[in-house]
Amino acid sequence: MKCLICGAPYKSPPTWSKLFLYELDSSTCIRCFGKFEKSQSVIDFADFRGTPFDGAVDSVFSLYSYNEAMKEYLHQYKFLQDVALATVFAGKLQQAFQSKEGIVVPIPMHPDKLVLRTFAQVDELLNAAQTSYQHVLSKITTEAQGKKTKKERLKTTNLFEEIQTIQPTNYILFDDIYTTGATIHHAAKILKDAGAKRVEAITLIKG
Amino acid sequence: MNEQLQQFLSGRIWLREHTPFPREVIDAHIDSGHIHLKPGITTSTEPNLFWQSKKNVCNRCHNTNQSYFHSFNCARCNQICTYCRHCIRMGRVSSCSELLLWDKQHARGANAHVFAWNGKLTPLQQKASEELLSSVERNESHLIHAVCGAGKTELLFPAIFASLQAGKRVCVAAPRTDVILELFPRFQKVFPNTTIHALYGGAPDQHGFAELVLATTHQLYRFERAFDVVFVDEADAFPYYADETLQQAVTKAANPDAAIHYVTATPTKSLKTTNQSVLTRRYHGHNLPVPRFDSLWGYTRKLKKGKIPPKLEAWINKKVEMKTPFLIFLPTIEMLENFPSDLPRVHAEHPYRKELVMQLREKKIPGLLTTTILERGITIENVHVAVVGAEQPIFTSSALIQISGRVGRSVQYPEGDIVFFHHGISREMDKAQDAIEGWNRA
Repeated sequence: MKCLICGAPYKSPPTWSKLFLYELDSSTCIRCFGKFEKSQSVIDFADFRGTPFDGAVDSVFSLYSYNEAMKEYLHQYKFLQDVALATVFAGKLQQAFQSKEGIVVPIPMHPDKLVLRTFAQVDELLNAAQTSYQHVLSKITTEAQGKKTKKERLKTTNLFEEIQTIQPTNYILFDDIYTTGATIHHAAKILKDAGAKRVEAITLIKG
Repeated sequence: MNEQLQQFLSGRIWLREHTPFPREVIDAHIDSGHIHLKPGITTSTEPNLFWQSKKNVCNRCHNTNQSYFHSFNCARCNQICTYCRHCIRMGRVSSCSELLLWDKQHARGANAHVFAWNGKLTPLQQKASEELLSSVERNESHLIHAVCGAGKTELLFPAIFASLQAGKRVCVAAPRTDVILELFPRFQKVFPNTTIHALYGGAPDQHGFAELVLATTHQLYRFERAFDVVFVDEADAFPYYADETLQQAVTKAANPDAAIHYVTATPTKSLKTTNQSVLTRRYHGHNLPVPRFDSLWGYTRKLKKGKIPPKLEAWINKKVEMKTPFLIFLPTIEMLENFPSDLPRVHAEHPYRKELVMQLREKKIPGLLTTTILERGITIENVHVAVVGAEQPIFTSSALIQISGRVGRSVQYPEGDIVFFHHGISREMDKAQDAIEGWNRA
């Protein structure tokens, strides 16, 4: 097989968990994958205390930290639109979701943005990880969060609206990157207000 | 007709969403037949013996290696869309993207070209230069086979000037960005009245119609039937000889009746030209330094244990003591990254490559560890070179010849140490040594 990132041929070693537990095969060589750093930082919600978003999210788990290799990856995946790269983290994401219980809800894209990018990068990551999900929310603003300051992000009125009835059960939000946490909190608040019991979040990257 | 659009698109094959013109302008030119539209990917189904197989072709880079194609559910065309990963760094080309081609009379340059060069050619260079010029005038392909440091660029100048004067559009292509960056200021000085564009990954936008284009071979994916004369410099450099689509890109970028000329130190059999010239002497007239072989048994194991083999360590210490700058070539990036020493190191993904080479030139650092990335194009005065693991397959005879060509390039220091440390002598090492000795004898 050829590594999706550097293009060099590589062999992925056969393991028992691949044979019996259907663990997904990696699509990159060990050298490229080794450049991604596991996230060590603990995410607290101190910034949200006293705001209407206090307590909206019960826990957040991020897999990787944002380093040079991750920056390159996101550039090629999102900006150059290399959909094939969705499979790079498939195995690790699948493991992360297997350890939690609840309805997986990807953070949605605005329909106009989706046509421009031609694919929904968050959904494709889940597809590659063979994790089933529901589109419970829809995005109503087209402004990009990346261009705003933290204060502005929190002040923004609703980013999302629900498009399905929310059940009194556990939900797991999924997004590609957790930067200030505004996106995740906006989404979680809508789910909690509509009656969700517990809202957790998983993100690929802690920015 | 929009003249700027004509100048921009003449000879190009360009992704519609990357064109710096308003949508309405492009639409109007499509309607009037000035612009021809091509789909990004052409997919054909070929009946096989038992099944039908899909075959994709990228209409920009002409890649047909199916492992570089990826299909997905596209939200733009609401269909299964296929895109080419081979040329994705230039903007994604997919089934539903449109490529623009200029279908009418190409733009022409209006400059009166001036040839401002008063350097002198050696008699050998002069002869090769005249041979090339007469081939160019007869529109026959020509191969310049010249040793490293022979002064190849200068002897192209007269042929390029003659072509420009004849109203031809000229392209000088080289596989590596570093070479284009080095050539650009030199060409600007020699042809001060000519519009010259330098194209490489990350190049700034350049406007107007260029009569002379300096481009990496990768950038030629974005041209079609553009040039009347093409010179391929360093035709033996990676990745050009190893990537068939790059060779096709050169042919595609040239007009069907254009002659393609090659300049190289180690011609491969696949380079076929009508005429050729050979330059076996460096411009300063001295012999090429001949590589010597030295055994370094079990170097991989020693390096893995975190120790530098004694012979190599002695070599390094001697160069540090004598204050001679040195380069050590290593076969793999892993070996480079794990080399037990605090010497600075560079490889293809290294962000400060240029800066480190500059520091070595200014003697701010004693030496540099490198992969084959520095095998060509760089000149460091009085540099000495060691190749570790010269028997490994990555060091082909042409790579070894190029590496040896780093030594003794200046008139002040025409000699220097070039040593191949090995774990057994390979055929390629012998071939490289024989070739260099052969040139010295000629």
